[in-house]
Amino acid sequence: MSSLSDYVSEFTRALENPKELIDDISRSGKKVVGYFCTYTPVELIHAAGAVPVRISGGPMRIDRADRLAPSFLCPYMRTALERALAGDFENLFGLIQGYTCDVACGMFNVWKGNIPLSFYHILSLPYGESPEAKLFFEKELVNLADRLSDHDMEVSDAALEQSLDIYGEIRRIMQWLYEKRYDGELPLSAREFYTVIRGIQVLPPERTEELLAGMVSSLESNAGGDARNPGGTPILLSGSLVEDMDIFDLIERSGGRIAADDLCTGFRHFDPPAGDGRQPIYRLIERYVAHFPCPSRQRARHRAPLLIDLAHRSGARGVVFLIQKFCTPHLTDIPILGRELKEAGLPSLVIEMEETGVMEGQTATRLQGFFEMMGD
Amino acid sequence: MEKTKKSTKRLATAKELTRVVSEFYLECHQAKAEGKPVGWMPPMNGAIELFYAMDLQPVFPENWSPVCAAFGLTPANFEVAEGMGYSQDLCGYLRNIVGFVHGMMGGDHVPLGGLPEPDLLVSASGGCIPAMKIFQIMEHRFPDAHVFRGDLPQVALEHIQPHHVEYAVHQMKQLIEFLTEATGRKLDYDRLAEVVRLSDESCALWDEICSYRRHVPTPISAAEIGIMFVLVTRQGTQIAVDFLTKVRDELKERAENKIGIIEDEKLRLFWDNIPLWYNMGLFNYFEKMGAVVVAETYSAAWSIRMDTSDPLKALAIKTLKSYPLVSCVSVETRKEMVLKACREYKIDGALLHSNKSCVPITLGQADIKRALEEELDIPSVVIDADHMDDRNFSTAQF
Repeated sequence: MSSLSDYVSEFTRALENPKELIDDISRSGKKVVGYFCTYTPVELIHAAGAVPVRISGGPMRIDRADRLAPSFLCPYMRTALERALAGDFENLFGLIQGYTCDVACGMFNVWKGNIPLSFYHILSLPYGESPEAKLFFEKELVNLADRLSDHDMEVSDAALEQSLDIYGEIRRIMQWLYEKRYDGELPLSAREFYTVIRGIQVLPPERTEELLAGMVSSLESNAGGDARNPGGTPILLSGSLVEDMDIFDLIERSGGRIAADDLCTGFRHFDPPAGDGRQPIYRLIERYVAHFPCPSRQRARHRAPLLIDLAHRSGARGVVFLIQKFCTPHLTDIPILGRELKEAGLPSLVIEMEETGVMEGQTATRLQGFFEMMGD
Repeated sequence: MEKTKKSTKRLATAKELTRVVSEFYLECHQAKAEGKPVGWMPPMNGAIELFYAMDLQPVFPENWSPVCAAFGLTPANFEVAEGMGYSQDLCGYLRNIVGFVHGMMGGDHVPLGGLPEPDLLVSASGGCIPAMKIFQIMEHRFPDAHVFRGDLPQVALEHIQPHHVEYAVHQMKQLIEFLTEATGRKLDYDRLAEVVRLSDESCALWDEICSYRRHVPTPISAAEIGIMFVLVTRQGTQIAVDFLTKVRDELKERAENKIGIIEDEKLRLFWDNIPLWYNMGLFNYFEKMGAVVVAETYSAAWSIRMDTSDPLKALAIKTLKSYPLVSCVSVETRKEMVLKACREYKIDGALLHSNKSCVPITLGQADIKRALEEELDIPSVVIDADHMDDRNFSTAQF
């Protein structure tokens, strides 16, 4: 039986070279469809016979992207465009995006005008959950399915059912791992844990399911080794994407322990695992309208109790907002969220990430001060 | 070159602007005093016509920001918002209104009396994120206001399909139901038809006004663009129609007599993005060198012709189209619109305002710049600035 670290290694390899990963999947005869945000219905893309892969950016120097987009955009979108212009996504078949924020939508259009792919589609998601909102969403999904079928990518009910099952299973396993983590029973560092999550977003789900099943067996037989709760002040990490994995080490080295998160490279990607419905499309709709909210789609006052609940469930005693610089949805929510968290006894700290990462020394000092303030 | 400067207005109608703006805000305060329900709403949507049809008073917090910029109130508002934790990287409209409602609002010496408190909030999801977030913050600030949580499809103009329109119509009906319940006022559909007809008439007048800008020399420049205030705040009223008729008549006469807005027009320019509200005088600066800004993207968003035979559907479509028309939701359509304008207005060069306060309009500018060069051989220059925050505008770049 492989050890936990063997499984983590495969996820790490998948992330190291996005181009190689996409090229390999393409060579196997599968179409690869990229997406930016977790509001993109990956189950539908998978049911059409393609492999949905979340577009990677990653800490890097920006050169080409500045010629097409202003510098006051989030690092993720700038670095992703930089990769695209460098040819990293040349074997991508298409790009599908569920509408979230201004930048993701605008950059979708910048890609469309500058990165030659065979298929581009953006779909509008309702903000509400009324029957009319769901009907509207159904029509958006059917429209996407029709467009995919125009490119020989038919979506059958049976295939969609199967895709919903596999993604549901992956998300359920991840939630189980989160529970283990809350209880300090997961022998993975924060870097390893979030590597697994980001890896899930780029690997084919069939392979992901195998790897996760292996991890579960390994944990149940204790082959992964004893849980090694690193100690430290438990915190909730709130933000969007975190691609700079060094920040996780920095948090732990500075005396913190990430007990929970609402990252879209984290918990938000898995909650809820699935939706209920008599037909597969309704299962899909129910899942996405109940999506753990991104601030681009929900108000701070709605998010605050969800964060407070996550903190209570995980034992987090404070919140670190780890924000992509210039991220309007997150930055706007912070003043109200911060006040509501404070009233619930949860202090918070804001750290902004730039395309080359965070300023390590300064960030470490702020984190140490924050953790010391919270005490042991 | 000065960092902040008001524009010099030459049109008789543009000189009336101070009166027009004052009258609107006076009306807002009178409405509040008389017990008429006051509702705050984002711009560029069909709720405004519904409000006028139901005899409710609309107020536009986003539009209040240019007024604050003109009165020099923005630094104080920014200080309040930033002191509350709102990042300086956020849209200036957002920081200004947030600072205003938590700061000087209700004070004794606020120009035009400031804004009356809202009884209703149209807190729509859709449009840009800052517009959406402004109203979420207003919900927090004015907890006694009745809140309509709207939901609008985010779709590029070229991709609007019947189901988008159906959902937008459904939302308009929800809004009517909400307003009826919150205010006790019923919508008279004949009155709505009349309001929509007036709104469309304003748009037709605006199109006609813009058509005079095609004349060489142009009878109006972007320095006088404040005249569109009535399109933003009074769509669907006779007041807007009357004012725009006067503007149209003045421009028609100037165009027929070849009276240019400047004496010696040498270059005709296009302006992309929102102007610098704290420095509308920038347009006069170009004029000193014989260059006139004769067209811009921003003004197009308020002129969407409607099929008045189905008022509700017309308003729903207008609501769907307005924001994508000028933003990165429809880069392709926007690019075509800019190219068309540059052809029709005989543009020699374009000024692309890279606006730190408005990502949705700034994104896509590189594609527009390239298309201008490749398809029309029109040179362009990028100006780094911000439509609200003069701290992000350096005169050194001139």
